[in-house]
Amino acid sequence: MTIPKPLLVSVVDDDESIREALPDLLRQFGFAAEAFASAEAFLASEFVSETSCLLLDVAMPGMSGPDLQQELTRRRQKIPIVFITAYGDASVLRRLLARGAVRCLVKPFSETALLDAVGAALT
Amino acid sequence: MAAPPVASASGWIGFRAPNGDDADAGAASTDLSNILDAVEAPIVVLQRDFTIAGFNKATTDELGLSPADVGRPSRDISRLAGLTSLESQCSEVMASGVEARTDFRDGDRWFVVRISPYANAESRVSGTVLTFANVTAFRASIDQVIYERECTKAILNAVPDPLVVLSADQRIHAGNRAFYSMFFELASLRTRLKGMLSGGRAFDPVEVDQVFPGEGRRRLILHAHPLASPNHPEPRVLLTFEDVTARKQAEAANDLRAIAERKDGLRRSEAFLAEAQRLSLTGSFSWRVSTDEITWSDELYRIFEFDPGMPVTLELIGTRVHPEDLPLLRAALERARDTGADFEHEHRLQMPDGSIKYLRMVAHGIRDEDGRLEYVGAIQDVTGPRLSEQALGKAQSELAHVARVSALSTLTASIAHEVNQPLSGIITNASTCLRMLAADPPDLDGARETARRAIRDGNRASEVIARVRTLFTKKEFATESVDLNGATREVAALLLGELQRNRVVLQLELPQSLPSVTGDRIQLQQVILNLVRNASDAMATVEDRPRRLLIRTEDEDGDRVRVTVRDTGVGVDPQNLTKLLDAFYTTKSEGMGIGLSVSRSIIERHHGRLWAEPNDGPGATFSFSIPVSQRA
Repeated sequence: MTIPKPLLVSVVDDDESIREALPDLLRQFGFAAEAFASAEAFLASEFVSETSCLLLDVAMPGMSGPDLQQELTRRRQKIPIVFITAYGDASVLRRLLARGAVRCLVKPFSETALLDAVGAALT
Repeated sequence: MAAPPVASASGWIGFRAPNGDDADAGAASTDLSNILDAVEAPIVVLQRDFTIAGFNKATTDELGLSPADVGRPSRDISRLAGLTSLESQCSEVMASGVEARTDFRDGDRWFVVRISPYANAESRVSGTVLTFANVTAFRASIDQVIYERECTKAILNAVPDPLVVLSADQRIHAGNRAFYSMFFELASLRTRLKGMLSGGRAFDPVEVDQVFPGEGRRRLILHAHPLASPNHPEPRVLLTFEDVTARKQAEAANDLRAIAERKDGLRRSEAFLAEAQRLSLTGSFSWRVSTDEITWSDELYRIFEFDPGMPVTLELIGTRVHPEDLPLLRAALERARDTGADFEHEHRLQMPDGSIKYLRMVAHGIRDEDGRLEYVGAIQDVTGPRLSEQALGKAQSELAHVARVSALSTLTASIAHEVNQPLSGIITNASTCLRMLAADPPDLDGARETARRAIRDGNRASEVIARVRTLFTKKEFATESVDLNGATREVAALLLGELQRNRVVLQLELPQSLPSVTGDRIQLQQVILNLVRNASDAMATVEDRPRRLLIRTEDEDGDRVRVTVRDTGVGVDPQNLTKLLDAFYTTKSEGMGIGLSVSRSIIERHHGRLWAEPNDGPGATFSFSIPVSQRA
């Protein structure tokens, strides 16, 4: 019997402290985790198709979170996306959810909220 | 009868009394002979029968008579032939005893011969004495004078202007041809001439009009030149008559043309002015204060919508002025009436159809020589500009509000983002740390690492907060010498229109001299502006009393300058006075608290103090005082 490979959660955020902190916590939950500094770096990596859930920052230099979401749709990569944003603007959050995001987490968020969101993405 | 010579041939010849009277041939005779011979003029003595009785030496020299001629009849002497009627003349002289004269030409010489009776010791006339005076040179000079006179006459007669010389009794001495052909009537000038002639002085030219036969009316200018000769005691005057008829006519024509042009120019400039007034919606007026007589230009009638030509009175004007603005206008006019000072005023009109006009008046006070006051000025209809100004002001304040709100929200969002990133890191790291410690076995290295990251993120968050604080507090602070009087005047000028519209009477009490302070002029003006606006706002709802606003500057013992802004507004609750100046405390929706708190911090940066006091009467007083500049 093969040991099931842990589900890969990818983190795309231009903020370094998020890239450092979040994967460690996700691993504590038993997920595999990879972090990318930009949407372009994620798209160029070998992990796109393996990713089960994408924790995606909204505002980034270059390609933004929603831009990446659109690009993945265009590539027919159906990866569940949880947006993470420091801007708590309600209208922006509503728009993101309307465009197919599973959840939107407003930084700073608790580990409960994170688990809940990732859980929702995987089911 | 021959008389024997008694002297030498060169001396007196044949001196014997005529008719055989014996002369004493003694010493007296010798003296006489010497005297006669010394006389330059020839002297010849004739007997009663016209024979030569004797002659002196000059006769020999001048007329060539010789001793042989003594005793000869004078008619036989060829040199005396020119004296054609000598014998009859001598007879007459002897008969009458009165001497006679006759001219005598000898070649190119001229003599005047005096024929005197010769009387002997018994006063009996026994002959004649002929004395020859040589007048050749005299006659030549007379001829010269006559010739010169003729030349002068010719010149004067050629002059077209009349010339005449008058004596003191106004008799005509001489005139040129033009004068005599003019028939000038001097009678009209008698009085003037009299005064002038008696004084012997020149008089100013006199202009006279006179009608001349055949020439019509002529205009003449008379000039008088006194003629004075040191050897001639009688004063005379030369009158010259300058005919200026043609010139005067030309001048009159020019004057008429000039007047016509001026009138035309005046009409044109009046038309320009009227057009300018119409275009600029500006009318002009004059107001005689003593009589309240008011004159209006056409444009003012149009602005006030009164029938042109209607007599304008202060009462009539009062019927158009907006009731709310009437007291202030009256106050301004009364002040003008008292002081005579120039003034500017803005007020509204309420037209019969209910529409509102905004007028701006500028008036300049002048006094005539009797000290009577009159104002001349202009009134401009500024309704259009005022309405757009109001619209602009409203739009501006709305925009400012929007800008403030949006700036605040942008700022907040930016601060939130900057702070939330590290906060997010802290929470995530702390969660991870807890999980690592709770694992079995605990991942102590991992926990330490995540805890370190949490600390790092915490520091990052605190750096963000520090950055935001510097962003808000770091402002350029200029230090210059500031004249608070000047600064206050500028603020007052800036707000004057606004205050008038709010029906606030502004009073400035600024001393002649005020020490300067050191600081940021603009920031201090913002404080004054803020205090004045607050004061004006505090009176916005006051209807039962005048809305008075006083700005006063004063020197506090030479080391501080105090600025006071006093209003008659709603006032402040003494309990709120301190709180009033705290940031974010406000009694109004517009956020007066923020303004006051900023004002206080500005004043404190100037090492000064800002405070508020309730008035004894209605309203409140806000004051600040700051130290004067240190003298270098």
